[in-house]
Amino acid sequence: MEKVVIINSSYRLKKAKILSTKKLTEKEKFFEIALSDGERIDHEPGQFVMISLLGIGEVPISVCSSPLIRDSFDICVRAVGKVTNSLHKLKRGSEIGIRGPYGKGFPIRMLEGNDLLIIAGGLGLAPLRSLITYVLDSRRDFGRVHILFGCKEPKELLFRDELEQWSERTDLHYACTVDRADADWAGNVGVITTLIPGVDIEPARTFAAIVGPPVMYNFVIKELLNKGIPENQIYLSFERHMKCGNGKCGRCQIQNLYCCQDGPVFNYEKIKNMSEAF
Amino acid sequence: MKKPRVAFFDFACCEGCQLQVANMGEAVLDIIGLIDVVEWREVMSEKWNGKLDVAIVEGSITDPHAVERIKQIRKRSKIVVALGSCATIGGVNGMKNNYVLDEIRQYVYGNSYQFFPTEATKAVHQVVKVDYFVNGCPVYIPELVAVLKAVLHGIPYDVPDYPVCVECKLNENVCMYDRKVACLGPVTRAGCNSWCINNGNICYGCRGMVSNPNEKGAQDVIAKYNISMDLIVNKMNMYNKCREIG
Amino acid sequence: MQYAILRKERFNDFIARLSEIQKLVAPVSKGYNNFAFEEVTTGDEIALKYIPTILPAKKFFLPRRETLLEFNDAKGANAEASVEYEPVTLFGLHTCDLSGIQCLNMVFSERPKDYNYITRKNKIILIGLECNEYCDEYASCHLVNASFPSGGYDLFFTDLGDYYVVHVNTPAGDEIIDKTESFEKAEVYQMNELKNLRDHKRKIFINEVPIDRSRIPELFDLSFSARVWKELEERCLACGNCTNVCPTCYCFDIIDEIGLNMKQGVRYRVWDSCQLEPFAKVAGGINFRKERSARQRHRYYRKFSYPVERFSRFFCTGCGRCTRTCMAGISLKETLNELIKESEDRVWRRWL
Ligand SMILES: Cc1cc2nc3c(=O)[nH]c(=O)nc-3n(C[C@H](O)[C@H](O)[C@H](O)COP(=O)(O)OP(=O)(O)OC[C@H]3O[C@@H](n4cnc5c(N)ncnc54)[C@H](O)[C@@H]3O)c2cc1C
Ligand code: SF4
Ligand code: SF4
Ligand code: FES
Repeated sequence: MEKVVIINSSYRLKKAKILSTKKLTEKEKFFEIALSDGERIDHEPGQFVMISLLGIGEVPISVCSSPLIRDSFDICVRAVGKVTNSLHKLKRGSEIGIRGPYGKGFPIRMLEGNDLLIIAGGLGLAPLRSLITYVLDSRRDFGRVHILFGCKEPKELLFRDELEQWSERTDLHYACTVDRADADWAGNVGVITTLIPGVDIEPARTFAAIVGPPVMYNFVIKELLNKGIPENQIYLSFERHMKCGNGKCGRCQIQNLYCCQDGPVFNYEKIKNMSEAF
Repeated sequence: MKKPRVAFFDFACCEGCQLQVANMGEAVLDIIGLIDVVEWREVMSEKWNGKLDVAIVEGSITDPHAVERIKQIRKRSKIVVALGSCATIGGVNGMKNNYVLDEIRQYVYGNSYQFFPTEATKAVHQVVKVDYFVNGCPVYIPELVAVLKAVLHGIPYDVPDYPVCVECKLNENVCMYDRKVACLGPVTRAGCNSWCINNGNICYGCRGMVSNPNEKGAQDVIAKYNISMDLIVNKMNMYNKCREIG
Repeated sequence: MQYAILRKERFNDFIARLSEIQKLVAPVSKGYNNFAFEEVTTGDEIALKYIPTILPAKKFFLPRRETLLEFNDAKGANAEASVEYEPVTLFGLHTCDLSGIQCLNMVFSERPKDYNYITRKNKIILIGLECNEYCDEYASCHLVNASFPSGGYDLFFTDLGDYYVVHVNTPAGDEIIDKTESFEKAEVYQMNELKNLRDHKRKIFINEVPIDRSRIPELFDLSFSARVWKELEERCLACGNCTNVCPTCYCFDIIDEIGLNMKQGVRYRVWDSCQLEPFAKVAGGINFRKERSARQRHRYYRKFSYPVERFSRFFCTGCGRCTRTCMAGISLKETLNELIKESEDRVWRRWL
């Protein structure tokens, strides 16, 4: 056997440091990360990175900060298994490996000058936070902005401070609902689709961006189409099992598309007839 | 870092799996160096009644006394590892579930059977929570090492949820069905690197079934290959009887 | 020299010399009509008449297990990406298997390129061997245009009785001809015999399934909800044999392994299969291909539909391995026949 080092291997890791962490809920933790050699990840909202803990594994995680923040980026991770639980145990200053960013994000250029209807279910707020913060930081480039957010219970609300700020801003419309209220909850109760009829939009100039659990899509899309938003103005992001991020390992395939390269953000019109997508 | 306190316990079993551990050779020395073994009947006489980091449990739970004992072990252990088929799936001990319990007791203990309480054989996780499973009869050493590493590393070990056929094909064995011999590979969980088939034997299903086996399909295959159904049911029962208890 | 002749009496001599150049691999018998590509040093070990091997030659291009990264300290992200390879000559590949390698070449050379694969591929010499007739009834190589040689090799052997006529396709092939000193110049009559064989083959190799090759993608466009898939649900055991033995299946898993000292370790990839339960499962327990029928359908679409859009090529080489290996008796030819029948039914119904 002979051996050569592959400098341009697509599996090579970039070194990164955890700058800060913050517990958001029982299961979700927030990490601020910077690449070690001053490099920038230069992502688009909706793109993801592979987060690597050597000896444990690698997982795809959406970047949840605005691309306008250049010297670091944020992720929000739910502890569900091997890598995510181990990641939760890491402290400020720990080194981790990064690959990416990967995939196609939301088409920001195309969204500019239009109204936005952003719909997040649960952890779907993470990738959408990247879009939302970008939009808010370049607010005058966009028309009206609506943000609808839903989750199971109040204790699962992510980014509470920011949600609070959004709800106070006058240049955007923010609404939130929970499936099940608790004693302190004074807001809406019900699934996220109940918020849609109430939003006041001009369908022809509104683009929708949706991220949430798979069950949410069919219902939300039906409501949006009812509202008259054209199919090709709806964008959604899919979660699939991913291993390589390079369109090779096959894990993330949705019919002829590779979620890691052709997605995770897709235009609804392009995929509406794919039964494996929904 | 303090070395984790580890103890080995045996319930109803042949202790063959512990023997496997003792026979691990170099790997065992390396692992022993990383842990503090406080009780291990097979190799030492000391007993330990205090708190444990890791309890490695061999054998299945077959009587009320054992139920009580395993509950106690669980209570004082941070991590419980089930070692070998008897512990993970009930193993050969499960065969007694084929019979009416009293019959077994009579068979084993003769007329005074009523004085010897017994109950349906259970795998360890059917009685207490188990954190790690090392399947197999006996356990496959490379997998055991992988599990122990996961324990020490504090990460989960996922037992493969695909059949032995996968490993068997990767080893490029001639399929037993091509030799017209029944083999439980298609429904048995991998992880043993198709150990038995590599050595010319069939798979006996000692690692338990995959989570979503196509049992009907498997029966059709066996029928098609003219293999006696009884033979296969026997082979399957040999290790997997406890599965029905849930 | 474009064509050369190897007399059969010189064959063993040739193999011996070839095996001296670098590791030589050829089909050998494993009993029970099973064959495997294994290392040989003499001609006698080689099974010249063989049906496709248990595993295809992909195992040399995309090893069953292959290291992607090595690290000495699991804390942190210091890891080296390297590839281990072994220069090897593969002798006796049928046209279906050569075609399979051409498929893999496309996948792994497409951006982002896979340098592990590419590095290894460039160190492998390929010597083909023509099938003068069908290997067995499971093959469907003609349907997918893989029954005749069409590149992808350094040398290509055709058995013409007392001798092999050998097509020299690359400089590496030329070098082997020079180094082994076993070959003669091809005469005109020998070239004519080769032509005769090919003419004869054109008569016996016919579409194994009644459909025009160019209509296959269309057939699949119509068949996503065909009955056939549902039938496979009940039969398939989800053992993954069909994909593991397929020369054009290349899905893989990536796994980390760490040493006992909890410091050094490797990240490696292993073959994976879309037929297996965990393949499309994500956190939260959702399985995007829960039904075995959906997994089987995916397999077929990855042979006859999706790659046609991406690479303008079928990713089935007609080798028949998937059918031979399936203990549930799921047959590629039968499935295609069923799809055709069903689509015809549908067309008929439209007219009624
Ligand atoms: C494009 C994309 C963006 C994502 N963004 C986020 C995010 O911003 N925040 C977040 O918390 N999670 C995100 N996820 C999900 C996250 O990748 C998985 O939760 C994570 O991979 C689980 O890994 P684990 O090792 O902790 O779990 P494991 O112990 O490996 O397994 C737990 C469960 O997760 C599934 N799983 C394992 N690996 C993957 C994988 N690579 N992809 C999907 N599921 C997997 C397993 O099938 C199993 O059901 C995203 C996934 C994708 C595909
Ligand atoms: S070989 Fe047969 S039984 Fe196994 S996964 Fe493939 S089709 Fe299913
Ligand atoms: S699908 Fe079957 S016949 Fe086609 S290349 Fe793969 S194994 Fe061979
Ligand atoms: S993650 Fe490997 S192909 Fe998409």
